Amino acid sequence: MERENRFWRVALLALPLFVFLALVIWPLLSSFYYSFTNWNGFNSDYDYVGFENFKRIWTDRLFFNAIVNTSIWMAAAILLPTILGLSLALLLDAKVRGSKIFKTIFYLPICLSAIVVGQIWVWIYQPDWGLLNTVIEQITGSRFNYAWLARPDSALYAVIVAWSWQQTGLSMVIYLAGLTSVPSDLLEVCDIEGATPWQKIRQVIIPLLTPSTVVVVALSVINSLKGFDILFIMTGGGPFNSSDTLAMHMYNESFRKYFMGYGSAISVVLFLIALTIIGLYFRQLKKVDDIYG
Amino acid sequence: MTGVNRRSLLGSALAVTVAAIAAPAFAEKGEVTISHYFTGELGLKAFNEQIDRFEADSGYSLKDSPVGHEDYKTDILVRASGNSLPDVFSYWAGARVQFIADSNALHAIDGMWDKAGLDKVVAKSIADSATSYNGNRYLVPMNYHYAGMFYNKAVLDEAGVTEMPSDWDGFLALCAKLKEAGIDPIALGSANRWPAQFWFDYLLLRTAGPEYRAKLMAGEASYYDAEVKRAMGMWKDLADAGYFAENSNANTWTDASDKVARGDAAMTLMGTWITGYWGGLELVPGEDYDFFPFPAIDAGVPVASVGPVDGLVIAGNAGNAAGAEAFLEYMVSNPEVQASWSGAQGALSANVNVDPSSYNDVMLKAFNTVADSEVFAFNYDLATPPPVAEVGLSMFARFMDDPSKVDEILSQAAGDASAAFSQ
Repeated sequence: MERENRFWRVALLALPLFVFLALVIWPLLSSFYYSFTNWNGFNSDYDYVGFENFKRIWTDRLFFNAIVNTSIWMAAAILLPTILGLSLALLLDAKVRGSKIFKTIFYLPICLSAIVVGQIWVWIYQPDWGLLNTVIEQITGSRFNYAWLARPDSALYAVIVAWSWQQTGLSMVIYLAGLTSVPSDLLEVCDIEGATPWQKIRQVIIPLLTPSTVVVVALSVINSLKGFDILFIMTGGGPFNSSDTLAMHMYNESFRKYFMGYGSAISVVLFLIALTIIGLYFRQLKKVDDIYG
Repeated sequence: MTGVNRRSLLGSALAVTVAAIAAPAFAEKGEVTISHYFTGELGLKAFNEQIDRFEADSGYSLKDSPVGHEDYKTDILVRASGNSLPDVFSYWAGARVQFIADSNALHAIDGMWDKAGLDKVVAKSIADSATSYNGNRYLVPMNYHYAGMFYNKAVLDEAGVTEMPSDWDGFLALCAKLKEAGIDPIALGSANRWPAQFWFDYLLLRTAGPEYRAKLMAGEASYYDAEVKRAMGMWKDLADAGYFAENSNANTWTDASDKVARGDAAMTLMGTWITGYWGGLELVPGEDYDFFPFPAIDAGVPVASVGPVDGLVIAGNAGNAAGAEAFLEYMVSNPEVQASWSGAQGALSANVNVDPSSYNDVMLKAFNTVADSEVFAFNYDLATPPPVAEVGLSMFARFMDDPSKVDEILSQAAGDASAAFSQ
């Protein structure tokens, strides 16, 4: 019986393990391999170029542009959904009328794919008839046709807003779940002691929500690192590279310029950055676990 | 019972996996796989009709996987990098095919070309410029396009324009007149960058000439040369005068075409595929719209026409090379196929046996314009290697965003293009 169970454990594990090895580990190792070559994606003949691709990164103006954009993207993609999600959760936890409907409405965007969300916001930002410019025109009473996604000063931030709109619902739900574990007697004590609502939130609720914050930040970090699709559909890294993140830059070099070897080197750097961030995050997670059990 | 269920589950999973892996091995002997970017409503319908004809006439079966035009540019590379190119795929003649030919990823068709006598079928100018790479024949042209200044006839009539300009001064006067009448003279939809390239192409070709442009495309001249500065300076003059409709970089080529169709703008510099698009909007060629060739600028410069050639190529590792060759031969050499295909696509046929009278008035004019040109030049992103084209396309978009930075933009493009050529 035990032998048969072991057989089934191995047999059932084999398929997902095979898929994981084929779709994650093998491409990862391939990227490492190709990062040391000058492969263009078509040619079966390519040369080993050592660290040439990695040296080139240091002189690539667009790589540093992508690093800056990725930093902005990650910082905003972590902060905005976290702050907005917490604010909404606090508002909706206060037993307001129709809170269930609001919770559903705010959560809905997370059910949509990033491509759909991106397309919706492309229409919202459309300069001539988009919702945003139409509202601004109604308010100001004068013609307004700023091209949010086509101007280098606003493109990245316009995508960040769309991204945050989608991700906030997820953060809100996690915080709402966290709020159920805040002891009500503790909040009553705060009221009796004369704490202001702000003091109650800042000094009691937010610290008690730390485990939820850890989950929200973890998901935001992971999702922002994966955040390629919405940028691709909304700006494609444009106009003229102004919203290129590292993932977009890697894509451009590999699939638009046909520098597959160099693109692989960028992907290796991106992998190392992600690994460092996730390593740091797990170290912090362990500290939180030690405190909260 | 539990054991049986598990066994069934695993057995089914394995059967599905094995079937999926084994399926290609059992594919029909006469099947030819193909991918293409003719996905517009009319184009896809017309292409499928030609596939049906081929299948009925030849006995081969085709497995088709179309991909949208913009996505196709990267999709085909993804397939190539995964060593899973279809037997036949459509591609743009010029630097892009050259790039794959240099990578030894194409099947040479010299034998088929000679056997089918395609020298007598394909127009010589197209055959010379689009089909041979590195001494071998690789591509059969499906059709070609011509880029001209397409305009809304009613708008120009209302503005009192009776004669279309043939020189630069005349063109500037036309723009000034339209602007004065409160109409945006030119619509440009450069959100996907490539529509802006026709301005660069024509301004450079009409001033510095085809020879200099060929040097620039090959990396033997610099984007910071006086010739390029002059062409960009003329483009800047148009932008500074407010002749382009606002927000070019926010609009696609169809947005710009819609502006002209609605009469919000007067004209757009675009390829003949616009006739297919406007046909879908039920605009009548010659009545609702027409075109004029990009005006001459410097006397003595050879007259060049700009446009792309859509072709079909065969992958170097094609599973059914014989079937693929049969398909290529059929598509280019059958005049009926070519006539109905080019008509639906808003394109010109490369087959000399297609009767020009099958074209509508506007397409016939485009056909004659190309025939009268001294040079047929591929548009920018098909004339220079893909990594360099990326530099230039971004340069055009940046220029349209802020033309005042033209000097800085050209200086940076010169450095980036030089680096791309040296990779």
